[in-house]
Amino acid sequence: MSAMGANPSTAPVLLDVRGITMRFGGLVANENVSFGVREGEIFAVIGPNGAGKTTLFNAITGIYQPTAGDVLFQGATIERRFGGMAIAQAIIAGVGTSFGLVVAVNATELWAAAIDGNYEYGEPFPYSSAILSFLATMKDLSFGWGVVPAILGLFIGISASLVFWRNGRRTPDLIARAGIARTFQNIRLFQELDLIENVLVGMDSRLHTRFWHALLRLPRYFRERRIASAKARELLAFVDLADKVHQKAKNLPYGHQRRLEIARALASEPKLLLLDEPAAGMNPAETVDLMRLIRKVRDRGVTVVLIEHHMRVVMGISDRIVVLQYGKKIAEGNPDEIKSDERCIEAYLGKEELG
Amino acid sequence: MDALRPSSHCRRSHARGSTRVDLLLLVAALALPVVDWLSGGLGLIDPMKAIFIYAILGLGLNIVTGFTGLLHLGVAAFMAIGVYSFAILTADIYPFQLGFWPALLLTIPIGAFAGFLLGGPTLGLRGDYLAIVTLGFGEIVQDVLRNLETITKGTQGINPLPPPTLPLPTAWGGTNGWYEFQADTPQPWYYLFLLFLVLVVVANRNLERSRIGRAWMSVREDDLASKSMGIPPVKTKLVAFATAAAIAAFAGGLWASSLSSTGEPSNYDFQVSILALCIVIVGGMGNISGVLVGAMVMIGVNDIVLQKIFSWMAKQELTSTGSVFGSPNNWKFLLFGLALVLMMRFKPDGLIPARKPRETGSARSATVRPKGEAS
Amino acid sequence: MELDVQYLLQQLVNGLSNGMISALIAIGYTMVYGIIELINWAHGDLCMLGAFFALTLIGALGIGAWSGPMAAFGVVILLLATAGFCGSLNLIVDRFAYRPLRRAPKLTLLVTAIGVSFIFVNLGLFWGGLPMTVFGEGNAAAAPKNFPAIVPATPILGGEPGQVTLTVRDLMIAGVTMPLMVGLWWLVRHTKLGKAMRAVAQNPTAASLMGINTDRVIGATFFIGGALGGFGSVIYAINNGTIGFQLGYRAGMDAFTAAVLGGIGSLPGAVLGGLLIGVARSLSDGYLEARWTPTLVFTILILILVFRPSGLLGLKSKEKV
Repeated sequence: MSAMGANPSTAPVLLDVRGITMRFGGLVANENVSFGVREGEIFAVIGPNGAGKTTLFNAITGIYQPTAGDVLFQGATIERRFGGMAIAQAIIAGVGTSFGLVVAVNATELWAAAIDGNYEYGEPFPYSSAILSFLATMKDLSFGWGVVPAILGLFIGISASLVFWRNGRRTPDLIARAGIARTFQNIRLFQELDLIENVLVGMDSRLHTRFWHALLRLPRYFRERRIASAKARELLAFVDLADKVHQKAKNLPYGHQRRLEIARALASEPKLLLLDEPAAGMNPAETVDLMRLIRKVRDRGVTVVLIEHHMRVVMGISDRIVVLQYGKKIAEGNPDEIKSDERCIEAYLGKEELG
Repeated sequence: MDALRPSSHCRRSHARGSTRVDLLLLVAALALPVVDWLSGGLGLIDPMKAIFIYAILGLGLNIVTGFTGLLHLGVAAFMAIGVYSFAILTADIYPFQLGFWPALLLTIPIGAFAGFLLGGPTLGLRGDYLAIVTLGFGEIVQDVLRNLETITKGTQGINPLPPPTLPLPTAWGGTNGWYEFQADTPQPWYYLFLLFLVLVVVANRNLERSRIGRAWMSVREDDLASKSMGIPPVKTKLVAFATAAAIAAFAGGLWASSLSSTGEPSNYDFQVSILALCIVIVGGMGNISGVLVGAMVMIGVNDIVLQKIFSWMAKQELTSTGSVFGSPNNWKFLLFGLALVLMMRFKPDGLIPARKPRETGSARSATVRPKGEAS
Repeated sequence: MELDVQYLLQQLVNGLSNGMISALIAIGYTMVYGIIELINWAHGDLCMLGAFFALTLIGALGIGAWSGPMAAFGVVILLLATAGFCGSLNLIVDRFAYRPLRRAPKLTLLVTAIGVSFIFVNLGLFWGGLPMTVFGEGNAAAAPKNFPAIVPATPILGGEPGQVTLTVRDLMIAGVTMPLMVGLWWLVRHTKLGKAMRAVAQNPTAASLMGINTDRVIGATFFIGGALGGFGSVIYAINNGTIGFQLGYRAGMDAFTAAVLGGIGSLPGAVLGGLLIGVARSLSDGYLEARWTPTLVFTILILILVFRPSGLLGLKSKEKV
């Protein structure tokens, strides 16, 4: 089955979705969905419209936080843990805000004591005694102007940094950098950018040019630019868009935009690629090309999970399929098993031709 | 439309066209003092300084608003921070008394730090909330500068401030080996400001065509797709915000030195921020050449063209002080507002709407490509 | 330090009183933002023009000399006429400046609004320069104009030193703003127009497919928002005592801050934000120094946004994927 030679049924599990539940107010979009995707597989998620497929993708890629359940990638969840870094940040933010607030509310007195009190016009400035006056004034601050702002600042700084830590625990950029790339159901390219720039943005997490390198055009910038651009061109050629490198993304026909999204996603060298309805809006010839492309992607060593309505595509390329209905998993298996599963036919397949 | 044309050809001509515009502007700018001198003094040199300062300010804002797509309504506050840090670091009523050059250089990290402090906690906000935060920051800075009289001298402002100095051998007219810029000879100022403007343009282009600039633009184009591609949103915006703040503060330091005074805090109010925003938008968002043209149009019309017309009208006795309608200065806001409304209606992409050449590694790889592979 | 309860209560009364005016103006921001995502920059300046209109009307009808029940009648006339004036002006601006830009990027709209705001400021300057007796003789165009105290600040409660004072003016402010807010809430919740407004705010394309004339609905929003601003401008002017062509920036900034604090796009948010800002301002005026009040208000705003990024009552925006 797999062109990589490994037998997917024994390959290690790459993506392990464990009991994901997504609730928006009263609406339950996913309920206790679990499945595992093995390395080297092409795995399909199917189901009627509104079954919660895209919501599931959004939960996996960190756009939504699951109400319950875990997403394990290579055996672990992807998140910033609460550890030394977070604590250090909270302390720095707390102490910094505290100090800043005390200085700010007493700025006039501190300045008068440290600067005006020590500076004689035309004389050299005694920095050490200025610092001493500063400290002495700080020490003599009243409770209301010293301790109160200090505690308030400490509280604001620490709580703000904790709030930021909590909101930033599991962000899409972190998950993308860990090796999960995706495309979108309603294509989301960078419309005003060139094709190659779109791909280079996807490559960003693999690049090392820093602000200073770019600003001063250090040799490192040129070296990486050469390599990155060659790689981007290779990816554009891979999706058959090599002749349109410098067009703006928005000027591409629909089918090409879908392929560009795949190239952009591949640029981050992901282990796992999530495709959200890659064949939507494609004509039959384009669909055949797309199937070939998805196989080629898998043969590069990238595991593929796709959401698709096009049964010809799903049945033609998937190793395994999971079926969702009303947010719940109702079946899982290889294409033949799904095709013969009573519940799937009833829920979904019965209405469409089987590929 | 572009889709129908051979892309690489079209792109390269764009790139060349834009470079040509820049070079043309540069040659014109270099030649202007000569023209001015030959024609017996049109009085253009002094107002041009304001154009250069606003162009630098606009280029800073362009990074946040044009490249990254964030609405920033408080850029004047960072200019004020530059002005006042330059003043406090140099004026002789303060103990620090650094020279022009170290103080000017220090405005850059000070501005960046201020941008970092404001942006760090707030750049996660959605666009319009960020707009009010920057607007509020502009008000805070003004009020603080006005109210902390012990430190900032309040509405009196701080003066005098040192002019730029350049090493010049005494034999060539320097005093003790230095040449000090004089308030009544505008030409050296003009060329110094032009030099800084060119440096800021180069820095902007270098960033625009790099990984940093692409990340900014991806946030502007689609922030969700951008973070799904692994671009950290807050960090990316923060770099843009701090860079813009640094450039604005630098422009402030330069401005303070040329005035030899900070002026009063309300010189850096909301109007200045809006003027900078209009420069970016009128010229063409995200377009460096556009910002230059925008600064020339906005400040040029305000400081040069209108002033000339007004003084001509006064000479013809077309103005009067008896009625509110008689003084041409009372019409400025109306003209400005009408221009903005009409511009947005009929030329919303700015005066230079042509697609900026987005050079990436590849397109420019003509310069680093192995020989024989001519473009 | 002993806590002076009477002083504190008085500050609260003043704060709520001013806050209600801010809230009324803030609703104009929030309604327009809710429906077309435009920060209507010219709204504050629209209110400034409304105040000038009211002052001109006072001069033309001689309302300043009326007393007793006639004065109350005069206030009603002023309120209705100014509301009509501001609403119509807002509608006209929408028709000619914003409507052609419905499909344009948000920034284009915003810059247009800034342009309109400049035009308004200039019109206010001209208006103030007209030779009218109500404006006072010999006043320069830019000088502040006295607004007659047609509603006196007579106490109806307290009034002696050491007592919490509530004036006729406070009563007028509450009497104007509260019914308007309730009325607006009813309009948005229970009328066909309100339903259409909510539909357009949700999804203009879908709304127009359902047969809603979106331009009419947006126009109505501008009219209502402007009219509320008109009411606000009259009570602001009466309460403030002077008006000038720059008042739009200050009043607009307060109201806009209130709208954002409450969660821009949310009507109850605008009211809550307005009241909170009003109270914060008057507490700062009363206990700190008035010159630090704007700094304090904006610092509080920034802090609240750090912890609640969509304002106090704003809905967390779901990203549409």
